[in-house]
Amino acid sequence: MAIIEAEELTYTYPVGEKPAFRDVNLKIEEGEFVIITGPSGCGKTTLCRCFNGLIPHFYGGKLEGEIRVCGLNVKEHPTYEIAQHVGMVFQNPENQLFALSVEKDVAFGLENLGVPRKEIRKRIDWALKITGTYNLKNRPPYELSGGQQQRAAIASVLAMNPDVMVLDEPTSFLDPVGAEKIFEVIGRLNREMSMTIILVEHMLDLVSRYADRIIVMHDGRIMMNGDPREVLVSEEARLVGIGIPKATMLYKILKHRGISLNRPPLYSEEACQVIREALSR
Amino acid sequence: MSVFDGFKFRSISSPIHQLDPRAKFVYVCVLFAVAIMFNNIIPLLILFLIQIPIVFMAKVQKEWMRSMKGSAVFAIMIFAVNLLSLYFYAGHETFTSILERSLAMTVRFIVLVQSFSIFFLTTSPDMLGLALEQSGVPYELCFAFTTAVRFVPVLAEEAQTIIDAQKSRGLEIESGNFLRRIRNYIPILIPLIVNAIRRSLELAETMESRAWGACENRTNLYVLKIKTNDLLLILFSLLLLTVSIYVSIHVYIPPLTSLLM
Repeated sequence: MAIIEAEELTYTYPVGEKPAFRDVNLKIEEGEFVIITGPSGCGKTTLCRCFNGLIPHFYGGKLEGEIRVCGLNVKEHPTYEIAQHVGMVFQNPENQLFALSVEKDVAFGLENLGVPRKEIRKRIDWALKITGTYNLKNRPPYELSGGQQQRAAIASVLAMNPDVMVLDEPTSFLDPVGAEKIFEVIGRLNREMSMTIILVEHMLDLVSRYADRIIVMHDGRIMMNGDPREVLVSEEARLVGIGIPKATMLYKILKHRGISLNRPPLYSEEACQVIREALSR
Repeated sequence: MSVFDGFKFRSISSPIHQLDPRAKFVYVCVLFAVAIMFNNIIPLLILFLIQIPIVFMAKVQKEWMRSMKGSAVFAIMIFAVNLLSLYFYAGHETFTSILERSLAMTVRFIVLVQSFSIFFLTTSPDMLGLALEQSGVPYELCFAFTTAVRFVPVLAEEAQTIIDAQKSRGLEIESGNFLRRIRNYIPILIPLIVNAIRRSLELAETMESRAWGACENRTNLYVLKIKTNDLLLILFSLLLLTVSIYVSIHVYIPPLTSLLM
């Protein structure tokens, strides 16, 4: 059974006149790594808010169609119930940490769930180690760099041990090095713990290598939904204006000039490899 | 570095930092009460001196000095006002006794600032929130309190950014008369407030996503327990209070000047 299932989903914000997205049909399987991309204002963030019930419970508005997450009907279950299955990481790391130490922040979700203290301590250490923030345990959040803050935020979601982690442009406030570290952590969660990952992202250069699937949204609709390589080389993706990786661009340029490589590469190391293969042919 | 650094919590490990906030609160309350009980200079000076070893035990001498320096301006003002008003309205007193009483008022103010400074320098807002929570204050209020404290440095930084941005567009902040200067701050306050509201919405979203309100009896990572040191401090505070009450009723305190002469 799919872990997230949406049928004919349409949503309008309370203040909006036209729907933020419409007729979305979507299935995400357990253990998948899915990237959602598309130009700003296409409804990506809004769609993510449906995955843990912030829409419709926190935002109000009109949600039509069906959405089930881990077998729960989102419309019928409150956010705190769905939050135990779906962890959310937001754009701005600063606004996701509200305690005065990283440790206390990671504990926050577990405290809310009434987990016993001993268990909380165990889970904090575990989550901090996975995200590489164990050494920041007692530091106040405002002393940390953006990348460290975002990893701490991921740790605090991870500690709640969700089935799905949804990350809404987690790197847009970060420098490339910080972003790369975040992607490494997410990639590891997906590979080693087979956690389902849904990532909204523009910087496809750094992240498409981890993805099983890329969904392109445009103007409130899902435009493309499929294998990363197929999506990224397609002409539609270019026309919508998503950030196609440089390595894939190179493949397209070469193809245009009559040189065809074995497969479209997604990152520079892979590009090197396929070019070498082509040269030795 | 500003005066406020003399009151801002520093995370250091010291016996004073490890004390229960509730015990420290009792101590501060007693000091306040005692300081207000007396208006002679000798007991107030004793109060001032009692606290100095505590400052050194807490290893916050530098920050404490800063709070003292910051309050110097107010102390001088209090001294001057007292001196003038006593001089003009209390005709039958000698000048030395007027001087001494004004000094006593000033020392009282310094004692109050000092005990406040020690309390906030050595008590983490997290622990303070926890103390409130364990004293039966609803969790929502305690959470609002610690979160507000957490965002003070963030908002301060944001305010600075906005000031710089508006200045670089030609806003003159430090010009004009008093009213004009207040008006100058409007282009800074509006973006600051709008941003703060936006920030609070994002915070609310995050809280919702971390199962806020999921169960009635939430657990807490930390628990406060009254330890021996806390008991000692409370005992000392109560002793100080009883002795002070006794002294203030039954013992005549001579003025400092008569002792010196």
